[in-house]
This record gives sequence, structure tokens and C-alpha cells, in this order.
Amino acid sequence: MILKVEEINRVVQATILPEEASLTNADAFKEEMISIIGRGVRLVIVSFENVNYIDSSFLGSLVVALKYAMPRNVDIYLVSLKPDVKNLLTLIRMDRVFRIFNNYDEAMGTLS
Amino acid sequence: MRAYSDQIKIVFDCNREGIPGTLNVCLNHIREKTGALPLDDALMAKIKWVLMELLTNAVKHSGERQSVLRIGFSEEALSLEKEDYGKPLVLVGQDKKKIVWPLEEVVKPVDFPIYHNGMDSLCVRTDEAGRATFFIEELAEMEMPALLSDTSEHFGLLIMTKASDEFAYEHDPDTGLNRFTSTFYLITH
Repeated sequence: MILKVEEINRVVQATILPEEASLTNADAFKEEMISIIGRGVRLVIVSFENVNYIDSSFLGSLVVALKYAMPRNVDIYLVSLKPDVKNLLTLIRMDRVFRIFNNYDEAMGTLS
Repeated sequence: MRAYSDQIKIVFDCNREGIPGTLNVCLNHIREKTGALPLDDALMAKIKWVLMELLTNAVKHSGERQSVLRIGFSEEALSLEKEDYGKPLVLVGQDKKKIVWPLEEVVKPVDFPIYHNGMDSLCVRTDEAGRATFFIEELAEMEMPALLSDTSEHFGLLIMTKASDEFAYEHDPDTGLNRFTSTFYLITH
């Protein structure tokens, strides 16, 4: 399992467990995300609190998940990104397609 | 080609499980070499991104059991090279045409746009020898980044191009050698 998942009222908090989000676990992450999105949730908040490093393979899986979510009216938010991770997302402009928040509470605040 | 007075060679068995260990060997070497004058955190982060993508590229695309990494220092620059004798680079241009090395007909510098995300256009320029230099052209900002409309295969090249000061690919048709080179300037002017 790549994700630790908690669901309340069709909002999923999905915490990435490994410290390295990379080629090693990108496929598993994609499968778990597609499974979560497919069960009828409205929002998936992905926490990177444990992630020290992310690579292009994992970013690709994140984009695949977003492509799968959009036509199903499911949002994906990203939270708790460490500076290196956030800087890499910014480098390739992915900060423009994902909503990014400092933490779960801030992301949940958008729902009220 | 720039001469590096100090270069080490690291052999990488192209398997995904070996990436973290090899990455640490490379980073530790760079930290040792720069011990008295450590590189700043932002530059080290870029070097780490490029190393990770070079290793990932070796696993995903070379089709070889081993690749060689070379880390070189000169007074002005640090270079990261990845070499293998696997499949040559294949790029799909924005016009969907494939660009395959060795290039059949290159008579002058030629530019190929290969990917854009609405804000950056990743391009490659070839010279007479077939050496390909990657570069970014910034586009006028669009409302909705086109990131989602393209494949993720270009993310690795985009990361390496944007993180490096120079990023290039060479293929020697006589020996079959492929070489990616990422260069970081250590002295800013």
C-alpha cells in the first residue's frame, strides 16, 4: 500500500507513505488513486507530508489520476509538500493544474 | 567539449531498486568534493533531480543491463553524464513525427519543438554532428496550462532541461554509445 486512506463524507485524505515518490511506487500509486476516484468520492486530498523526493514517473501518475478524476467531477488537492517537492512541481508548472495547500485543515477549509 | 580535471565513473545496474543507493553514492561524492565550499541547497536540489531522472531514464529507456554515470568537476562547472549502448533516443515532435538517432539527414542546425505545457516549450536543437541540445522557449501564458493534454514521457526531459544550465544528448553511430550530459555552472558571471 502506498496510501493511507481516510474517508469522511466522500472526501478522502490520502497520505503517501513512502519517503521517495518515484519509479518504484508510481504504478502502485496510480492504481490506488484510480481505485479511490472510481468509488464515487468528490475530493481526494493527497498529502506529501512523508515525501522527501518525487520524480517524473510519480508526477506522471499524478497527472494520470487527475485526467481520470476530471471527467468524473472529482477534485484532487495536494497538501504538505516539502520545499524540494514543491519546487519541482513548480519547475514543470504543475502548480498551475493542481490546487496546493499547506495542510489538510487548509484544504478542508475550502469546502465550507 | 569542456575538460574535467576530476571525474569519477559509477556503474549503475539498470534496475529501479538500485536508484536510491546509486543516487546517494553520487550525492555523497559531490558533497565530499565540495566539502570546503559546499554547493547551496537550491543547486544541490537541482543536481539531485537530474541524477534521479538520468537513473530513471536508464531503467525505463536504455534496454541495457548497465549504464555508466560520470561526475566531473572543473573550476567552472560540474557535469553529470549518463552513458549506455542501448537504444538511441527517440523523440516525438509536436507534429507527431518521430525524431530518431542517428539522424539521417542533418545539414545545418535544426530545431524541433517536442512538448509544451502551455507556458514552456521544450525544444531540441541538433548540430552538424547530430548532437542535440535541449532548451526551453517560454510561451505567452495561456489560461489553462496544456500540461494535461500531453504524455508524461516528457516530464523527465523537461526537468533535466530546466534544472541544468546545459542539457544535451549525443549518439555515436559507430560505437552505439548514447550520452546524456547535464552541466551546472559553478561560477556565475
